[in-house]
Amino acid sequence: MSLFLGSMRHHIPGKKELTEKSEVLHLLPKKEAYIPLVQGRQLTFDILVEEGDKVEVGTKLAVTKGGFYVPIYSSVSGTYKGTVKRMHNSMRPQQHMVIECDGLQSRVQAFEPLDYRTATREECVDFVKEAGIVGLGGAGFPTYVKYGKPDGVECVLINAVECEPYITADYRSIMDGAQDLVTGCLIMQKMADVNHVYICIKESHPDLIETVNQCAKAAPGVEVKPVPDVYPMGWERVLVREVLHKEYGGLPAEAGAIVGNASTAIAIARAFEHGEAISNKTLTISGEGIKNPHNVVVPVGMPVKEIIEACGGYTSESVRLIAGGPMMGKTLVNDMFVIDRAMNAITILPHVDDDDIACLRCGRCSDHCPAGLQPVRIGEAVKMNDLDAMIQRGAESCIECGLCTYVCPSHINVTENVRKAKRVIAMKKQKR
Amino acid sequence: MKFNFHVSPSLRGPLTTQSIMKELTIGLMAIFFLAVIYYYTAFGARYALQAVLMLISSLATVFVCEFAFAKIRKREPMKEIKNSFGWVTAIILTLMVPISMRIYALIIATFFAIVFAKMLFGGFGQNIFNPAAVGRAVIFAAFMGASTDLVTSATPTTNIASQFGWMPYNEQMLDGFLQQYGGWKSLLLGTYPGALGETFTIAIILVGIVLIARKIIDWRVPVVYLCTIFVMTMIVALITKVGSYHGIPGLIWYPCLHLLLGGVVFGAVFMLTDPVTSPTSPAGRVIFAIGAAILTVLIRLAGNLPEGCLYSILLMNMLTPLIESLLDGKQLEVLPKAKKAFAVLCVVAVAVSIFTAMTLEPVSSLDKEAYLQTELQEEVL
Repeated sequence: MSLFLGSMRHHIPGKKELTEKSEVLHLLPKKEAYIPLVQGRQLTFDILVEEGDKVEVGTKLAVTKGGFYVPIYSSVSGTYKGTVKRMHNSMRPQQHMVIECDGLQSRVQAFEPLDYRTATREECVDFVKEAGIVGLGGAGFPTYVKYGKPDGVECVLINAVECEPYITADYRSIMDGAQDLVTGCLIMQKMADVNHVYICIKESHPDLIETVNQCAKAAPGVEVKPVPDVYPMGWERVLVREVLHKEYGGLPAEAGAIVGNASTAIAIARAFEHGEAISNKTLTISGEGIKNPHNVVVPVGMPVKEIIEACGGYTSESVRLIAGGPMMGKTLVNDMFVIDRAMNAITILPHVDDDDIACLRCGRCSDHCPAGLQPVRIGEAVKMNDLDAMIQRGAESCIECGLCTYVCPSHINVTENVRKAKRVIAMKKQKR
Repeated sequence: MKFNFHVSPSLRGPLTTQSIMKELTIGLMAIFFLAVIYYYTAFGARYALQAVLMLISSLATVFVCEFAFAKIRKREPMKEIKNSFGWVTAIILTLMVPISMRIYALIIATFFAIVFAKMLFGGFGQNIFNPAAVGRAVIFAAFMGASTDLVTSATPTTNIASQFGWMPYNEQMLDGFLQQYGGWKSLLLGTYPGALGETFTIAIILVGIVLIARKIIDWRVPVVYLCTIFVMTMIVALITKVGSYHGIPGLIWYPCLHLLLGGVVFGAVFMLTDPVTSPTSPAGRVIFAIGAAILTVLIRLAGNLPEGCLYSILLMNMLTPLIESLLDGKQLEVLPKAKKAFAVLCVVAVAVSIFTAMTLEPVSSLDKEAYLQTELQEEVL
């Protein structure tokens, strides 16, 4: 405990027991899958199939037009029916490719497998690029970009922390695919040209640590690092702070680290070994708002409504349907969206009305902010509409982890105040 | 089926402001009951009744003011009273006044505390000064003589300030002083007359530890404040070469005496930790606490007032916005600045200790006449 700084993190009850040990449901779309044509901010794609074409799991459907090169492969088998604009989990209507499923899930090999042991570093990175691997932790950032210029990088941190409450999808994927995880780590080790790969797992998951340790024995340089059960342990900055005791300005590479997600590592391993593209996603469907919380394995493009039905439906007439975990996930106002590649959970909570009272200036938000911001002060700047203060108080460094709102005893939406500041700053910058 | 929109995050922690205030109230009430029990056993039912009456009248004043304020602002009175936590102010204020205080004076002081120090600033969360401290200052300024016929002797703080110049130099002097209040043990337990609640040092420390452990108050404030006072008065003892007391060297007993007397422990636990009137960042609170400690020692040893805790709190409340703007920005980036400010204040603290040690006039023998005079005075401090 520091005299001049707060804890910069906080333990949040994980509620992992709701789904951790329960059976994994394998579901398929009843009629149609909708593959989102969204890659970060990139929304224009070259579609490589014609309407009426038969597609199989692994058929290359589209590639990004401009921006980072990312191909999209089919996650289902069936008939391509053209595109349609519909609700996306980013809360905006986006283009989706409609595929009428035949339910057979027949496969083609998306690409030739590659032996990472004999291939060069550059070949591996190119392979990951062609395989369309994106960060599966939530951001969906193309993985190959991180490994482009690994100068000064000393280690790779594998984020298997899963610090959001309720979510156990990574836990499930790793438990069932620990060997793939370790293989993925070895590939990342090669791509980053480093000696050490640290798999960061919460101390509160000793069974998982044990399982991964067993597999990592045969992999030199791959090591499990137990980390405390606090939020937001899975944020790159907090992870680098905890494991490497370093701070950095922009990217973790400045601190000598590349941070990758555990399910991304598993996806990489499957691509190299079996020539499989990202098709199925393991998701946690949990929360007090759903009758039977489960982990599910579904193809990308699976309608959420059908998953909810398979989990017994909602427990209440008035819920919050969250794409992602309860801390950083966004609430959606209908269940018409589909599963995208970077999603790892749907959380459903019963709705409660806000009961905020005046701020008592207790400073808990400043104590806990993992970015070291002073959210209460940023909120004051927003109230005064003082742009300079918003900038000086570092509002732009906020990643909206939501911890300030979580700890606020007056139940103020603190994160939203900081978000407002970010919006004001962004608007001002656009004008200039 | 309704899908509600809510800005992220959708999850809230278990801690509420209501529960913080509830635990604080419980802590304060524990001290108050100790006071009632002490006055009942030591002086009889009339004194105990007076203490209860004082609290009730102060609380009533708060509720009436807040009800009227809510009506004026056209808000729901019950909700306003519930969410502005005025009763905490009332309890703290009551605990800070001596048993001999007249009820009307306490009511007026409470009125000033709630209306002028809190409501006029915009109510809970907006006030600059600690309302209870303002109320106490009103009593200091206007009602020094408004004491009842419930005669209590001079408080140790007044006594040590006027008789010994805060510096009983040798064993005889200290013994002479301690005898009037039942010795060290009594000072620790709080079984001597003084402000209602400020005397129960051990109990206050225990309540403070519980509140810190339950994360209701920030440990930094009381720890930094009390440690600074301890170190500063230790330096004073070192420079003035104060005599040892039955084998205990001056640089141990003298700082202890400072912590046991007056309201520093009470102020450290219940008033400096008031979140509304102190800085929000941890670094800011540390600077706030060390600043208050310097002012407390300065006022005690070099000022005209016997006790410095109260005014140090009010002065630091005033400096809170300054500290906040000094430490504005990302905490990791302003950390060097905070450390520098802390170092500067440490130097100031040492300088103040040396200065006050130079100006102190140690008392090694008592002027009998002056002694008798003050004893006859009915003191309110």
